[in-house]
Amino acid sequence: MPGKNNSVPKVQRFVAILWPSFVVSGIATVLFFTAFDPDEVIGCVGGWDISRMGYYSVGFFLFWLLTSLNSVLTCYFLKPCSKS
Amino acid sequence: MTEKNTQQIEMTPVEEVYAKRKKIYPRQVTGLFASFRFTGVLVLLGIYYLGPFLQWNGRQAILFDLPARKFYIFEWIFWPQDFIYLAALLIIAAIALFLVTALAGRVWCGYACPQTVWTEAFLWIERKVEGSRSSQMKLDKAGWSWAKFRLKFTKHFLWLAFSLLTGFVFVGWFTPITELTERTLSFELGPWEFFWIIFYGFATYGNAGWMREQVCMYMCPYARFQSAMFDKNTLVISYDEKRGEPRGSRKKGADYEAEGKGACVDCSLCVQVCPTGIDIRDGLQYQCIGCAACVDVCNEVMDKMGYEKNLVSYTTENALSGKKESFFRPRVTIYIVLLSVITIALLGSIAQRVPLGLDIIRDRSSLYRETDEGLIENVYTLKVMNMDLKDHRYSLAVGGIEDLRIKKPKKGILVEAGTVVTYPIRIQVNPDNLKTASTELIFYLNALDDDAISIEVDGRFLGPVFK
Ligand code: SF4
Ligand code: SF4
Repeated sequence: MPGKNNSVPKVQRFVAILWPSFVVSGIATVLFFTAFDPDEVIGCVGGWDISRMGYYSVGFFLFWLLTSLNSVLTCYFLKPCSKS
Repeated sequence: MTEKNTQQIEMTPVEEVYAKRKKIYPRQVTGLFASFRFTGVLVLLGIYYLGPFLQWNGRQAILFDLPARKFYIFEWIFWPQDFIYLAALLIIAAIALFLVTALAGRVWCGYACPQTVWTEAFLWIERKVEGSRSSQMKLDKAGWSWAKFRLKFTKHFLWLAFSLLTGFVFVGWFTPITELTERTLSFELGPWEFFWIIFYGFATYGNAGWMREQVCMYMCPYARFQSAMFDKNTLVISYDEKRGEPRGSRKKGADYEAEGKGACVDCSLCVQVCPTGIDIRDGLQYQCIGCAACVDVCNEVMDKMGYEKNLVSYTTENALSGKKESFFRPRVTIYIVLLSVITIALLGSIAQRVPLGLDIIRDRSSLYRETDEGLIENVYTLKVMNMDLKDHRYSLAVGGIEDLRIKKPKKGILVEAGTVVTYPIRIQVNPDNLKTASTELIFYLNALDDDAISIEVDGRFLGPVFK
């Protein structure tokens, strides 16, 4: 586990996780919804009654969740293993 | 002493990158570059806040209508199918940025980046409320009082109001702003519109009010890679060390050369005006966003002292070291060629774009059906997109299999401007004409009133497997 010489403050680590994933999920959202019209894809399987704006937004946050999960794992594996 | 030194060295990288930030109070500057920036900020903010209200042929002139999946840009309408144009546009913007960076360094950062533009606006509000740099510093040091609370409250209130307006206009670029305004005034905003107004407003408030230069230092990708575009002929802000050093204070009119001093009077004004809080006299640093505030302020000082200007100035490494400067370096030439090629290709293909789209969707419920007459029937749904600004009637033809039978609309398919019509069709084929289980079909669509508007799209016809 990181000891006291783990010099990166928590806030900075949050930024390092949330910010790049934010950017990437933005790109992913644009690409995804350019290829698929949510009204058609979900409308086909009898989706809920939400506007496209809603689908875009939910899609964006799902992507963000995934990409930040990715960043969290990266951060986690970057930590040195304990040498004991 | 030694121990202290090693400690410092160890601490430096950590402190530099992650130290708790000291608030920077940039001093206000006036001068040539400050007025460039002021003009730039005014124009860019004007475009941002007024742009969505611009009308064109009775609709919003520029609208990235996400709910309707259509982009309106004056005369043009772009559909998701036109994504390639957007991609090309982004590439053009990126190369243009590279070119400008290679030639003139971080002028984007200093004059046009939204981070700079909105920070400038927020600084302006801050100065109007809290006063000059020194009164801001005094205010922050002072204990809490009613007067301080009032000033702080006013500042944050104005910042937040401005941010909310920014968020509102942001959403207005993506959804028709007149209706958005009406819905806002009657408190009928959709939940997601409301959410994004708040989200973007909050981001503005945080980035321009609080984070400021930290965005440039820790979050901006451009700041990280811009130095790769630099070479010895790139314009940078630089301090003329040969002329300035040794720095030192002096009386006005004193013969500083006789005193053994350089031109720098060590007034520290260049540090006080710097929005990123660095000292340009330490050499070029990655934090420097090239805003030229230090140039303006130093020139003012040089003027007052009666010295020659440009102790701190826009210059190039080659100029400083007395070498020849050149404009058309290989990288500049490459950027210019690339830029022209892609721009011409983009404009050419937009000009040749056929404003008609056709999607063919096979009926999902069954692969094929045998009719009573023994024919094989496939059912399709055609989606005809008229991307033109006029209504059109289109005639449909299908080829690829001999003697296929199709029920066609006699007068063609009418599609109004900028809309999509879905149109079911049945195609029947004699099984003798089918060689394989899946045969290629070609759908031709062309406008009855304009031969130039025509497209062909492939489809598949499925049938039973024959031995
Ligand atoms: S460093 Fe990045 S965020 Fe800062 S001004 Fe330059 S481009 Fe903008
Ligand atoms: S050093 Fe000068 S040009 Fe660079 S950011 Fe500071 S004031 Fe602007």
